Amino acid sequence: MSTLRKIDTRIPRTPLLWLAAALVFTVPPMFGTLSPWVPALFLVTLALKFWMEPKGYRLRLALWKLILTTAALAAIFFSYGSLKGIEPGVSLIVVLMSLKMLEAHTAREFHVMVMVAWVLCLCGFFLAQDLSIALCLLIAFALLLVALLQFHRGPSRNTWWPPLRTAGILILQALPVIALLFLFFPRVSTGFRLLMTPSSSAAAGFSDRMSPGGIASLASSTEVAFRAEFPDGKIPRADVLYWRGVVMSAGAGMEWRARQAPAALSPSALRPPAGETTRQRITIEPHGEHWMFALDWPVQPPPGALLAPGNYLWSYQSIRKPRRYEVRSFAQHPDKNLRQRERDALLEVPPSISPRARELAQSWVAANADPRVIVISALQFFRAQGFRYSLSPGEYRKNDLDEFLFERRVGFCEHYAASFATLMRLAGVPARVVVGYLGGEYNEFGRFLLVRQSDTHAWCEVWLPEAGWTRVDPTSVVAPDRVNLGFDSFLERRGPSAETNTGAFARGWARQPIFTNLRLAWQTLNYTWDTRVLSFDAETQEAFVANVDLTKVPPLQLSVSVLLGAGALYALFVGGRHFRTRSREDRVKGLYEKFCRKAARRGAVREAWEGPAHFANRAMTLLPNESERIGRLIDAYLKLRYSAQVPAGVFEDLTREVGAFPRGKQ
Amino acid sequence: MKDRSFTLLRPARSFAGLLCVLLAMWYAASSQNNAAAYLLLFALSSVILVSIPHTIRNLSGLKVTAESAKPAFAGDEIFLPVEISNEARAPRHSVSVSVPGSRGDEERVDTIAPGKGARVMLRFPAQVRGEHEVGSLRLATVYPLGFMRARKKLGARQRYLVYPKPGGDPKLPSGSAHAQQAKRGPERGEGDDFAGVRAYVPGESQRHIDWKAVARGQALMTKQYAAEPSGLLDLDFASLRLSDPENRLSQLTLWVIEAERARRPYGLRLPGAAIAPSLGDTHFHRCLRALALFK
Repeated sequence: MSTLRKIDTRIPRTPLLWLAAALVFTVPPMFGTLSPWVPALFLVTLALKFWMEPKGYRLRLALWKLILTTAALAAIFFSYGSLKGIEPGVSLIVVLMSLKMLEAHTAREFHVMVMVAWVLCLCGFFLAQDLSIALCLLIAFALLLVALLQFHRGPSRNTWWPPLRTAGILILQALPVIALLFLFFPRVSTGFRLLMTPSSSAAAGFSDRMSPGGIASLASSTEVAFRAEFPDGKIPRADVLYWRGVVMSAGAGMEWRARQAPAALSPSALRPPAGETTRQRITIEPHGEHWMFALDWPVQPPPGALLAPGNYLWSYQSIRKPRRYEVRSFAQHPDKNLRQRERDALLEVPPSISPRARELAQSWVAANADPRVIVISALQFFRAQGFRYSLSPGEYRKNDLDEFLFERRVGFCEHYAASFATLMRLAGVPARVVVGYLGGEYNEFGRFLLVRQSDTHAWCEVWLPEAGWTRVDPTSVVAPDRVNLGFDSFLERRGPSAETNTGAFARGWARQPIFTNLRLAWQTLNYTWDTRVLSFDAETQEAFVANVDLTKVPPLQLSVSVLLGAGALYALFVGGRHFRTRSREDRVKGLYEKFCRKAARRGAVREAWEGPAHFANRAMTLLPNESERIGRLIDAYLKLRYSAQVPAGVFEDLTREVGAFPRGKQ
Repeated sequence: MKDRSFTLLRPARSFAGLLCVLLAMWYAASSQNNAAAYLLLFALSSVILVSIPHTIRNLSGLKVTAESAKPAFAGDEIFLPVEISNEARAPRHSVSVSVPGSRGDEERVDTIAPGKGARVMLRFPAQVRGEHEVGSLRLATVYPLGFMRARKKLGARQRYLVYPKPGGDPKLPSGSAHAQQAKRGPERGEGDDFAGVRAYVPGESQRHIDWKAVARGQALMTKQYAAEPSGLLDLDFASLRLSDPENRLSQLTLWVIEAERARRPYGLRLPGAAIAPSLGDTHFHRCLRALALFK
């Protein structure tokens, strides 16, 4: 007759709600990186779960599970073309989690779901790592703790605050441990690497090829390209903020390209020239290519990079996570020699260039053979012939140099740079195209310059005798404000024609000081996250540990000893909780118990059922010598315990009487 | 008076899964050299570490008292009411109690407010007849996160009685040498005519329980059938023809139950003890107690 009750093992609703809230926060990194149906399916199953749970529906049949799993696998395979790589892998985890959610119903499966959700957080960090995503995922992490807490607290109603509070306490207490582990936990690199490079997510930024329309497509992207600090406090003027990305010296006409894997410049070219330098500390956002940025002109490459011909920085490994480095730029170009072979290469022009363009170039040479004058004539040509600067100049094909130069005369910076360099070569002046960024937004809070993808720019460099490589920006002739003001302000200057009225209204609001400040503060936070957290990798850690270390212990040993020390502190903390101070009420009780122990040793043992007054009466008869003391003692105890208002000194009386009570046998 | 027992800590069942997750995180983070993944790994492991003192503290300030348990027959279950009181200043959550060494389940209390108590009914199988003692109770908790389990033993003395398992022949013996005054020969403990119901006596055959009444939500009642008037029964340990004394005790127990059910006065004769024939609840339990404590 003992098994008449039913054991309810279903997951209570409140923890499930917390879990669902946590899962919603794991979704944002999935949008934009995974196939859209994957996060959509995830959200739908989440909603479905809450519809099914009260009705008692769930996925029971093994056949259904098998069919759904196979269908999901097939769908993933068809959307990505393979099951390898990070996106299909994460999609698989997400889809399996969705199915698990439909199936799970017992208490033990709740733990499984929470752990899978933690794995989802991890996957999120492989998809994206910006601060906003990280905040989402950390919120999800915290909500999962709340879900677990609520789960173990049992089905209590209307108590959303206590589990939140406990989770908060746990996280606050964990913070120092997290910081210690983050700084000192040995980042051992596992031998073989999983190839989890994001395959399809097109990293933002320009490529090694410049063709018409390529840069214009970036002009609307507000994504961050990199951020630069100027540790010396010298912030260059806006019109010289030319951030060198890649030098394209091959190709001509409207299409230019860079070398695939450039060789390093000879050490002689790396000799730093005299003159003023600008120190920059740069944090690049991952762009999947090898470029690293620096102001004109870098001479010494930072670790892990080389200085490619054309004096641009080229990282050995493609940049797939935020990277921080320091570089110095010189106001003058270091190399004043150009060998004949290089010169020939820089004058190459494909035969497909039309005779009309050749004639134009030759006409300048005929007028004056001095390269400086040729450059000026070319710029004069752009200035005087009605060229216009436009973000959407219409489509040009690869060989449309003539159409641009002589007919439409509308272009973006890339068109001007490409055509200018081609014309220079036709005129016998060595020229090349540089793609990088121009300008940036200075953040007063964080004291850094933020450069966005929309700041992408292309310009030219020409070789002038004596002066060497000289920067010429044909765009500056056509649209001088683009160079002086920065791209955003430039667009604004052009008046309302480019935008609708509502857009202008929103933009006006966004320009309010409070929003500007908020925006700047958010950028600063982002910057701190990127520079302090994301770029703290194994190498940085090694440098950090070596820096902290004063006694020249090997870094690994230092890490281990710091962690051991922290462990000892932690053990002390745990031990200390056992001996924490007790409240007054506890102390009164402790004193009474002490009295009981002393009395017991002299033969008056308190029974478990006995109240203090009854026991006192009995003890007085058992221990007649102490009867007065017992009377006073119990009086004080009863007052302390049961009176509404305790006169002063009673607690001290009790302490004294209990202390004075003789111990040992009579 | 003061509990000086140690709290023992060990990983809970779900810890294995957690370890897998942590390893996966570590592997993924280190193979990609991904600082954000490392951060997540460290956050998770730190929170687990920090939760350990919370788990230990969740058992401090708790006291348990075992209340008296009703006797049960061997093979049945003992129901032991236990009171857990929280003398700490903070609420305690998800505390489970069990009787160490018994094969019973543990009972869980979700929340005990400070200064309050909670009652649970522990069930565990009664195995051997005789008087037993619960020496201590085990408190355990996995709160707050469920990955670590702390437990400690607290003294809680309580005795309970296990009656012998009823067994053997349900047919009551014919009037023994001492029951010559019985008018008739052997008789069945029950007749054919329904005569009413009375409270169910634990250990009784379940065949006559008034299940319809149970279905109506009433207490367990046994249907009684009119039996022929009966003589005194004298149940004698010595006169049984069973070799094993435990079997004899089982047989006697069954007869005591059947006789009580048939409302036939019965007496019990054990080596060194004799109980005069009588009927009724007190007599019934007195006989069973004598059988349970028989040495």
